[in-house]
Amino acid sequence: MNPKNNLIIGLIIAGIIAMSYNIDANPAEFVEGLPNLAIVVKEMAEVEPDLFAIAFWSMLETIEMAFIGTVVGVVIALPLSLLAARNLNSKLIYVPLRGILAATRTFPSILWAILFVIMVGLGPFAGVLAIIMYTIGFIAKLQYESIEAVDSEPVEAVNSIGVSKLQLIRHVVIPESAPHLISQVLYMFDYNVRQTSILGLVGAGGIGFYIINYIKFFEYGKAAVFMIVVLITVLIIDFVSVKIRDKYIVKEQKGMQVKV
Amino acid sequence: MSLKKLLKKSTPSSSISKLSTINTKILIHMNDVWASYDGKNYSLKEITLSIERGTNYAIVGQSGSGKSTLLKLINGMMNPSKGQIKVDYQTPNMNKKQFRREMSKIGYIPQSLGLVKNISVLENVLIGALPRIGTLNSLLKNFPEHEIEEAKKIIKLVGLNGKENRKTYMLSGGEKRRVAIARALMQKPILLLADEIVSELDQVTAREIMDLVADAQKRLNLTAVMVHHDMQLALEYANRVAVIKEGQKILEIGIDGDKIIDFQSGNMPQQEIMELYNNES
Repeated sequence: MNPKNNLIIGLIIAGIIAMSYNIDANPAEFVEGLPNLAIVVKEMAEVEPDLFAIAFWSMLETIEMAFIGTVVGVVIALPLSLLAARNLNSKLIYVPLRGILAATRTFPSILWAILFVIMVGLGPFAGVLAIIMYTIGFIAKLQYESIEAVDSEPVEAVNSIGVSKLQLIRHVVIPESAPHLISQVLYMFDYNVRQTSILGLVGAGGIGFYIINYIKFFEYGKAAVFMIVVLITVLIIDFVSVKIRDKYIVKEQKGMQVKV
Repeated sequence: MSLKKLLKKSTPSSSISKLSTINTKILIHMNDVWASYDGKNYSLKEITLSIERGTNYAIVGQSGSGKSTLLKLINGMMNPSKGQIKVDYQTPNMNKKQFRREMSKIGYIPQSLGLVKNISVLENVLIGALPRIGTLNSLLKNFPEHEIEEAKKIIKLVGLNGKENRKTYMLSGGEKRRVAIARALMQKPILLLADEIVSELDQVTAREIMDLVADAQKRLNLTAVMVHHDMQLALEYANRVAVIKEGQKILEIGIDGDKIIDFQSGNMPQQEIMELYNNES
């Protein structure tokens, strides 16, 4: 390894130590706190199975919220991504739009949820609105980036046929950038289910509401039931999205044919 | 005979242009055309040529000789720095509304083919019909029945019968070229421009594709301007061959059966022309 790399690694380590000191992160406290973890784990192990039915229904509500939020968010994000792509529009359109999209991404969905709880009151609807906002910012960004990365050759060739700009977008730009979309939407749904699980913290519905309440009253055994349901659900979604991705994307890109 | 002597003997360009502007047989006419990408270095210099309707015209030259630029000038993707171009009485310029309507009459196949890889063969071919379809219908992918029938007929003609619904990225190199030709034919063109579309193929497949173009050209009474790397292929298929070197046309010959007629210097024995090309390339 050359001296320059050694210097960079040394600087990063020094930086982490200095920053830890600054934020008061003390590894000794972690070790001292381990017995407390043991207490929580022991209490959590006393799972109360009667609650699984409630946990299941509240998880279903969470998934429904995430599903609606993802679908509506993607539907709004797609036309916006066409307008935000630099290769399709003038600066006057894409610069302000990108600013707005960046702003929606700046706040995590839990901050949006607080805002919408104030606006529309407690409950799942506020959570759905929060998920929609975050999805718009995220999917629009991923999509305008893949639109900008579209191969210029078919665009040039079809443009020379004398088609209109809308026709060019519909028949070349969208099909060329679409394969990434399936993967992005699956990722977004997966992410939104996890996000929706904690939106209950601020009263925006979903399974997080139960988890935070049981933890507040030190009823770890009850909270554990809900956490197990979240864990199983996330694993199932992950498994299913891998299957979908394999079917539609990996095959299409001719990937995974050689095991490295 | 050296090349310099040959060029000195060539006919002055102005007399050709006077004749051809009144000739209705002429589809493409270029008079002293210069073209540059950066405004300093010229990729094409002093190009004067006339292409009659129905001709299979070949442009031969090495990489970087300016032959692709010549095609871009003809379909208006690029404008000349100097000189005049007329294609079917129009001055090609993609940014002019009047010419954009004419562009559907020019089937252009770039070297990269420019196919949309994630859609089916049929969808790619239907793109050729887009200038004839209204905006709303084309956004909904709502093609009239007769256009779909036409596309299927052309797919059959180019030898891709039964592969209409196959995704384009799954096709072989030769099949992709067939799709690109089909898309161009779907435009109902009067002129077909093709940029080295067979140079990456093996000898057998290259000739299959060239036969296909020759067949379509005869059937539909098309004019074809094809850029080649390989002189042999050009002599085999074209009626006329222009050789471009460092942006200049150094030779233009006509092929009449086995006879080669030199258009720039009067008659010249075939042997000598071939030698000249071999020495220069």
